[in-house]
Amino acid sequence: MIPLRLEVVAEGSEPFVTRLRRGQAASGGDSVMIEDGAEGAVFAGAKGLLVTGPLPPEGFEDDVILVHPAAGRAERLIRAGSAHNSLLVTERCDQLCVMCSQPPKKSHVDRFQLLKEACLLAPDAATIGISGGEPTLYKEQLLSLVEDVAAKRPDLAFHILSNGQHFDEGDVARLRSPAFRRVAWGIPLYAAEAELHDEIVGKAGAFERLHSSFAHLLRSGARIELRTVLMQANAPGLDKLATYVSNRLRFIETWSIMQLEHIGFAKNRWNSLYFDHRSDFGPVGRALDRALVRGIPVRLFNFPRCSVPAPYRPLAAASISDWKRKYMPDCDGCAERDACTGFFEWHPVDHISAKVTPL
Amino acid sequence: MTALPLRCRPAADDGLLFVNDSGSFFRGDPEFASRLLSGRLEQADEAFLADRGHLVDEADALSFDAHTFNVAERIGRAGTLDYLILVPTLRCNLACTYCQVSRVAEQARGFDWSDAHLAAVLELIDTLSADQVKIEFQGGEPTLRPDLIRAVIERCERFSARQFVICTNLQELSPEILQLFDRSDLFISTSLDGDPGTHERNRTKGRGSKFFANLDLLLSRYGAEKISALPTVDPSSPPEIDALIDAFRSRGLTKIFLRPINFQGFARKRHSHSREQDGAWRSYYERFVRRLVELNWANQDTVLEESYLSICLGRVFRPGRDRHVDLRNPNPAGVDYLVVDYDGSLYPTDEARMLTRSGVIDLKLGTVGSDWKGETWRMLNSHSTNQFDPACSRCAYQPYCGRDLVDDLSRYGRVDMARTSTEFCRKHQWLFDLIFELVYDKDAAVQHSLRRWLRLDCEAALGEAAP
Repeated sequence: MIPLRLEVVAEGSEPFVTRLRRGQAASGGDSVMIEDGAEGAVFAGAKGLLVTGPLPPEGFEDDVILVHPAAGRAERLIRAGSAHNSLLVTERCDQLCVMCSQPPKKSHVDRFQLLKEACLLAPDAATIGISGGEPTLYKEQLLSLVEDVAAKRPDLAFHILSNGQHFDEGDVARLRSPAFRRVAWGIPLYAAEAELHDEIVGKAGAFERLHSSFAHLLRSGARIELRTVLMQANAPGLDKLATYVSNRLRFIETWSIMQLEHIGFAKNRWNSLYFDHRSDFGPVGRALDRALVRGIPVRLFNFPRCSVPAPYRPLAAASISDWKRKYMPDCDGCAERDACTGFFEWHPVDHISAKVTPL
Repeated sequence: MTALPLRCRPAADDGLLFVNDSGSFFRGDPEFASRLLSGRLEQADEAFLADRGHLVDEADALSFDAHTFNVAERIGRAGTLDYLILVPTLRCNLACTYCQVSRVAEQARGFDWSDAHLAAVLELIDTLSADQVKIEFQGGEPTLRPDLIRAVIERCERFSARQFVICTNLQELSPEILQLFDRSDLFISTSLDGDPGTHERNRTKGRGSKFFANLDLLLSRYGAEKISALPTVDPSSPPEIDALIDAFRSRGLTKIFLRPINFQGFARKRHSHSREQDGAWRSYYERFVRRLVELNWANQDTVLEESYLSICLGRVFRPGRDRHVDLRNPNPAGVDYLVVDYDGSLYPTDEARMLTRSGVIDLKLGTVGSDWKGETWRMLNSHSTNQFDPACSRCAYQPYCGRDLVDDLSRYGRVDMARTSTEFCRKHQWLFDLIFELVYDKDAAVQHSLRRWLRLDCEAALGEAAP
C-alpha cells in the first residue's frame, strides 16, 4: 500500500499547503529540498523549514502536501505520479448507505481554502477527485472552488462524488458555465424502485430528491457518471435498472456497476451484502446487455478480470486506486494482470471472492 | 400521468409496434392499445411505460426533460468537414455495364487533376479544423494516378487519426500501388459481384482472372480486415444466393453490402428498370438475409452480415450513428463531407457528382479553392431534414430513418414528392418492417445473428412487449 501520510516537523502552527521539489522553486507555494538523506530530507519554503522522515520510495517530486505542524504530520494530497488523487472535503453526510466504505462523522473541518491552494499546484492536466462525506453539503464553497481553480488552471479536471441530494433550480445557470465542462459528477443510483434505493441509502425521499437533481443537472449540461454498487438487495433489480437508465437517464456520460469494497459498514455486513457474481453473473450480464444494446457506455468497477465471463472482460476497468490496490499471490503470471483492477488492500485473502484463476 | 406521443405500426399476429419520438419501441396487443387510447391504463401498464420514459408527470421534473434529451439525441449533428471523397481521375481501365460515374477510357486526356487542382486540394486539407480525417479515393480508377494519391496522403500527416480508402477495381497491382497499400491507415474497397462468371459478365469481360488473382493476393498479404468488397447485383437476374455468399465467405470476407444497381450514371440508360425496386428484389434480399442467419447459426465462429441491414439495425437501438451519410437525419449537404471531382468541381455527394455528369441536374457546389456555400448549397440544406415532413411525422420509423435529396432528384427530378411514393421511403419502410420482424422473432438463430450484428456477445432479449 502506498502511504498517504508523511511524518514531518514543521515551523509555525497553522496547517499549510506546499509542493515538494528539487532544484528551483516554480511558485511561491513550493518547498525546495536543501538536504537529502536516508533518514529524511529538509525542505525550505515560504512557511519556513520542513523536515521529513524517510521519503516515499516511489518519489515525491511535485507532490502537493498539506502540513499539520502541530500534529507533526503531512497528508500527501496530490501525488504527481498518480492518476488517483482525491481530496476529502468533508466527513459529514446526509445519507447513511448500508455499505458505506467511509462512514460519515458529525464534525466538519473547513479546509476549502487549503484544498484550493493544493489544486493550483497540481501537475499539468491532472484530474482531481473530490469526495466525502457529501461534498455538496458545502455546495457554495465547492462550486466556488471549481470556479476559482478553473479560472487559473483551465487544464485541470475534476471528478466529484456526490449523492445528488442538493442541486436545485438556482444552480442551473451557474453549472452551465464553461468551468463545469471540466467536472464529472459521480452520482449513485442503486435501483429503479424508490423504496429500495431509499432503503439502501438510509434516507426516505432520497430517490425523488435525486431525480429532481438529475433534472437540474440535465438542464445544466452536467457530465454524470452514474454509479451502482452491486449488492444482494439490488442484484435482482439490476436488469430493470438498466432498462430505466437506457430510457430515462440517457443523458449520463457513463454507467459504472461496482463490486462491494470490504471496508466501512460493508466489512461487518459482508455476508448479507456481497453478491457473488462468480457463481451467478446473470443479473450483471443482463444489465450490461441491456445498457450496451441501447448504446449506454457501461463499465464494471472492482471486478477482477478472471471473475468476469470473457465477452464482458473488456468492460472490467482497472478501477481500484493505485495506493489501495493489491493482487493475490495466484495473480502472478496472469496475462491480464496489468489491465485488471485487482483487489482492495483490505480485501480478505481467504474469502471466496478472493479466489483467482490466472488468465 | 400523461402518456407521451407514440406512433404505431401494425405488426405480426394482430400486434402493434409502438415507437416514441426518440425511437424507443415496444410491442403491444390491441387490448393494450385500447387501454392506452381510452386512458384506462392499469397499474402494470403505467409502470411499464414509466420505466421506459413514456409518461410525463408534473411532479416528476425529470420526465419531460429526459424525453426531450432523448429526442434531441436522435437528431444528427454534422460536425466540421473531416471526410473527403476525391476523384483524382475519371479514367478507368474497365467499362462496366452499370458504371455509376460515367467513366472515360483509360487513354483519354484531360480527365485527371491538373497541378492547380492538386494544389487546391492540398490547401483544402490544410484548412480542415478537425483532428481526424477520412479520405476516400474514387474514380474512375484512382490507382491510375498513384502520384496524386501519395501527395494527398503525405499532406495528412498532421492529423492525429487518419483513414484512407482506395476504391479500386484491382485490375492492375503495380509494386508502386502495393507500396501504397502497405500503409496501416489505408483500406481497400473493391467490387466483387459473386462467382467469376457473374463478376466477369458484369465487369471485366474476359479480363476477370486477373481480378481474382489480385484480390486473393491482397487477402493473403493483408488479411480480410483491410479489404472490403461490395457486390452490385442486377435485380433482373440476381446471382444464386449461396454462390454469392460463398464468393465472400471462402475469402474470409464477412461483410456483404448487397446493392442493387444504383439508378445513376450509365445505369440510368442501360438498366432503366433499376429506378424502382420491385417485390422480386425485396424477396431476394430477405432470402439472402435469412440465409446469413442460417449460416451464422450453423457456424458460430463466423459472423456474416449484410452491411446495410446492420447499419439500420444499429440505428434502431442506438442514436448518434450518423456517419453513414446515406441514412441520417438531417442529412446536410457539403458540411462534414465533400466530393472533389477530377476537374476540381465540388459536389455534396458522390451520387450528386454522377447525376450532374449525367446531365439530369447541376448539383455542383463550386470549385475546389473557392467557397462552396452558395445558392445550391443553401437550397439543398434547407430541405435536408425529414423532421417536418407530414408523412414522416406520422411514421413510426422516422427516428431511425433519414433523408436523401439526391436520391429523390435522381429518380423523380424533384424533392417534394409525397414521401410515401418514393423508392427511398418504400425501401426503408420495408426494411425496418423486416428488422422488427427479426427483432421479435423468438427463433434462437435469428436472435444470435441480430446480437452479433449489433456487436453484442450477450443474450439480452432485444424486443420488449407491453403487459
